[in-house]
Amino acid sequence: MTLLKAYLRGLREGWFVLGYTLCVCLSVFILAPFLMIALRSVGKGWFGKLWLPPQLTWDWYRWAIEVGNIPEVMKNTLIIGVIAVAVSTVIGIFAGWAFGRRQLPGKELLMAIVLLPRMIPPITYALGVAKIFYTLELVDTHLGVALAHVSVCAPFAILVLSATFEGLDERVLEAASVCGANTVKRFFYVVLPLIMPGILASMLFSFTHSYNEFTLTLLTYGPNTVTLPVRTYLAVGDGYWEITSAMAVIMVVPSLAILAMIQRRAKPEKLVGGFKGV
Amino acid sequence: MSDAMIEFREVTKRYAGLVANDRLSLTIRRGELMTLLGPSGCGKTTALRCLTGTIRPDAGRILLDGRDVTEVATHQRELGMVFQNFALFPHMTVRDNVGFPLMIRNLRKEARATRVQEALRLVRLEGYAEHYPRQLSGGQQQRVGLARALVYRPKVLLLDEPLSNLDAKLREEMRFEIKEVVTRLGITAMYVTHDQAEALALSDRVAIMNRGRLQQLGTPEEIYETPNSRFVAEFIGLSNFLEGRVASVRGATMTVTASGLSIHTPSLPEVAPGHKVLLFVRPNEIEILPAATPADTNVFPARVEKTTYLGDTMDYRLMLGEGVELRVQADARHRYGAGESVRLRWPRVRSWRANEE
Repeated sequence: MTLLKAYLRGLREGWFVLGYTLCVCLSVFILAPFLMIALRSVGKGWFGKLWLPPQLTWDWYRWAIEVGNIPEVMKNTLIIGVIAVAVSTVIGIFAGWAFGRRQLPGKELLMAIVLLPRMIPPITYALGVAKIFYTLELVDTHLGVALAHVSVCAPFAILVLSATFEGLDERVLEAASVCGANTVKRFFYVVLPLIMPGILASMLFSFTHSYNEFTLTLLTYGPNTVTLPVRTYLAVGDGYWEITSAMAVIMVVPSLAILAMIQRRAKPEKLVGGFKGV
Repeated sequence: MSDAMIEFREVTKRYAGLVANDRLSLTIRRGELMTLLGPSGCGKTTALRCLTGTIRPDAGRILLDGRDVTEVATHQRELGMVFQNFALFPHMTVRDNVGFPLMIRNLRKEARATRVQEALRLVRLEGYAEHYPRQLSGGQQQRVGLARALVYRPKVLLLDEPLSNLDAKLREEMRFEIKEVVTRLGITAMYVTHDQAEALALSDRVAIMNRGRLQQLGTPEEIYETPNSRFVAEFIGLSNFLEGRVASVRGATMTVTASGLSIHTPSLPEVAPGHKVLLFVRPNEIEILPAATPADTNVFPARVEKTTYLGDTMDYRLMLGEGVELRVQADARHRYGAGESVRLRWPRVRSWRANEE
């Protein structure tokens, strides 16, 4: 009996060690490329089979910012991101309301159409978008690139916000009406504060999607609308790995900041339930 | 000023062929606490929602204090309402929840604070103004709901099964609390519930609903003592029913033969020998007597089948005559065991014409 217990305990500990090792391996696997890029962006004279760079320098960052015109590129990225977020959120609120609160005929089909741009290969979709945008002369405009991004941001906003609206308690809205609130007051004092966490989550995720978007940008950008991912990709072509790495690190920083924000504020399980009260 | 505060006039509402309210007419007097009582699906909730304006009746009018509000939007009806699931605003503190109707009415801040304080005192929650609803117990949340409904002194207070989400002990406490507050304010209240005990304890009058219609309207005593149908008798309290035929009618009494027994009961209007009637006796209106009791009017031999001890009373299942099972609740001091022969005395039997059903 004791032997069996000891055996079981051993087995359990063995599983624990194995699981822990796997977790560490996975982390290394995920983080290794980041580490590589980070090292390369500050390494000097790192050639051949050396495991670590012999010298450290910030020069590549200076080069990246000056030669790569990063401030301009960052500005483009942010403008496009803000437009994409604004448009997606507005679409998301209206569509989410419709999906979450109304009995729509053919709801599943509509949802499938909304999700389509996310499901098919981006390059396929991007080719179509590019053709249309050339015709409409939207290529190489901030609005154009942003609208291309909306095609992947809006489905996400709609998904998140329909879940948010579905979670709204009908009785609470009824209570507001009985208390004397008309539709407008009810929206601003009750509905809006209650869906705020959902709106924030949808905005954050939309922004990250736009910020990271590559394929759609590549087919709709021009000299005036270079974004960070595209600029980094172009730098690869120039062959300066150190500068490219520096750009990649610069690009990652805002993403990490947003990730930290998401982790703290907008937990998916708290898409509904009030902002102040959360 | 008319005496009626809330009036339903022939209100009809159908849902996809199902009639939820069938020409419902009901008047609730000023200052009265009226309960709408009935099983689920009887149309009481539909009636309430017609009154709040959440749904529009297909036909009929609804009057509030003499004004036709059938076409008036919910937020203009000046109602106070307490909800079954509390329906507090989760993102607001207790203070803001209670102050919400005042804020909507653009009341000045100082006036608002005083009124909120008053309302919180009324429900004994002064210390909880800064709490959020989720930090309160169910009973406390419902008291916030009551304060929010009363804070702007609405003409009528509506209560939609306000106690059904609370546990049994709390429910009983809250029952008296609601009654007390409503009486103190002298407000007209409509209380919707499926709980007969709540309805009896709280109401000035009870309206029993069945299949979208008003089945009986009366004080709790009237409803309990003289139910007008088997439905009402079954719904309010426990009952024994016996089907029988009228054997003879002698002035104010008639004799009914049911399951081989001759039962004397007050006669019904326009009843003649041969008519089918339904007799009805409450379990606590039957006396159990020793087997040696001499034969008399409405005294019948019976055998105890099963006994259940309920603390203050004993619950007996008895076999009477030709296989009629009766339920009797009697004082627990004199006990009869299972299998014992006894005599039952029915001092009080009521009846209806059976074909009315």
